[in-house]
Amino acid sequence: MKKDVLLKADYRYNFDRDIYFNRKVKKAFSLEFVDDKPEEEILRRIGENTNGGGWTFYFNSPPSEGVKRELERVLG
Amino acid sequence: MPPRTNEDMIREEYFDLLPDVRRVVWYLEAEIRYHTRQILQRLKPYEQLIIKSRVKDCESAVRSLRRRQEGGTFDPEKLGGYSLLRLPDLAGVRVLVFPRGRVNEVNSELSAQFVHWSSDPVLDGRGAVLANKYIGKCLQVSTKIQAEYQVLPMLIGLYWEVEHPAIYKPVPAAKAPKDKASSGPMEKLDASVVEALLNFEAEFECLKLDELEVP
Repeated sequence: MKKDVLLKADYRYNFDRDIYFNRKVKKAFSLEFVDDKPEEEILRRIGENTNGGGWTFYFNSPPSEGVKRELERVLG
Repeated sequence: MPPRTNEDMIREEYFDLLPDVRRVVWYLEAEIRYHTRQILQRLKPYEQLIIKSRVKDCESAVRSLRRRQEGGTFDPEKLGGYSLLRLPDLAGVRVLVFPRGRVNEVNSELSAQFVHWSSDPVLDGRGAVLANKYIGKCLQVSTKIQAEYQVLPMLIGLYWEVEHPAIYKPVPAAKAPKDKASSGPMEKLDASVVEALLNFEAEFECLKLDELEVP
């Protein structure tokens, strides 16, 4: 299951925002993205090198800068 | 003065809509009571039919609308681009029935009356219907507000009254686990409770209480 793949990679679920996130690698997946994409793509995105600077958001519709700022604030 | 946020604008919309929402919930409850009155009169002493209505509160409505956005976040660059009219359950009525044989009877009666309403049943993990849910409008009192009514087994409904605020839709102040990924055991327990309640109803029906002398 896709959820298990994320949990195994140390992603946690934020129930209020419906996103899977990993603070260490600064990546977040929306529930819609996880629902719609195949497991292979989720695995590929988990392994993707993002240089670890700022947060990377995997959404179906790319979030605006405002949404990113808000989520970065929430995720810490 | 700090700039207005999407949340501020939605709260303002909420109070503009509130008189309409109240009219809808009163009307819907009255209609449901009227159309179930004959079933109510036929109930045996141990059977129950309880009708509860509620207007979604303001913060719950704001949160519900926010969580419908991807990432559960309003876009500050789309100020004013959100409306509570998208919510299907600003006004809601719940019909709790025991035992479940009566659920089907009530559901059939009401679905025959609310023919234009959309069915959106609540399913369990295996796809079985836990609650019959319908969404529509009471055009006699409001053309804007969407309402919802549910017909469900009383035991499940009463359990949800405790479980939903604590686990299903935790509020920020609640101490309930907010991280669903870490609440796996809770999900399993929830499924077990629902299954136990359904089994209780099934076993109860097997007793064929009709044949017993129940005072």
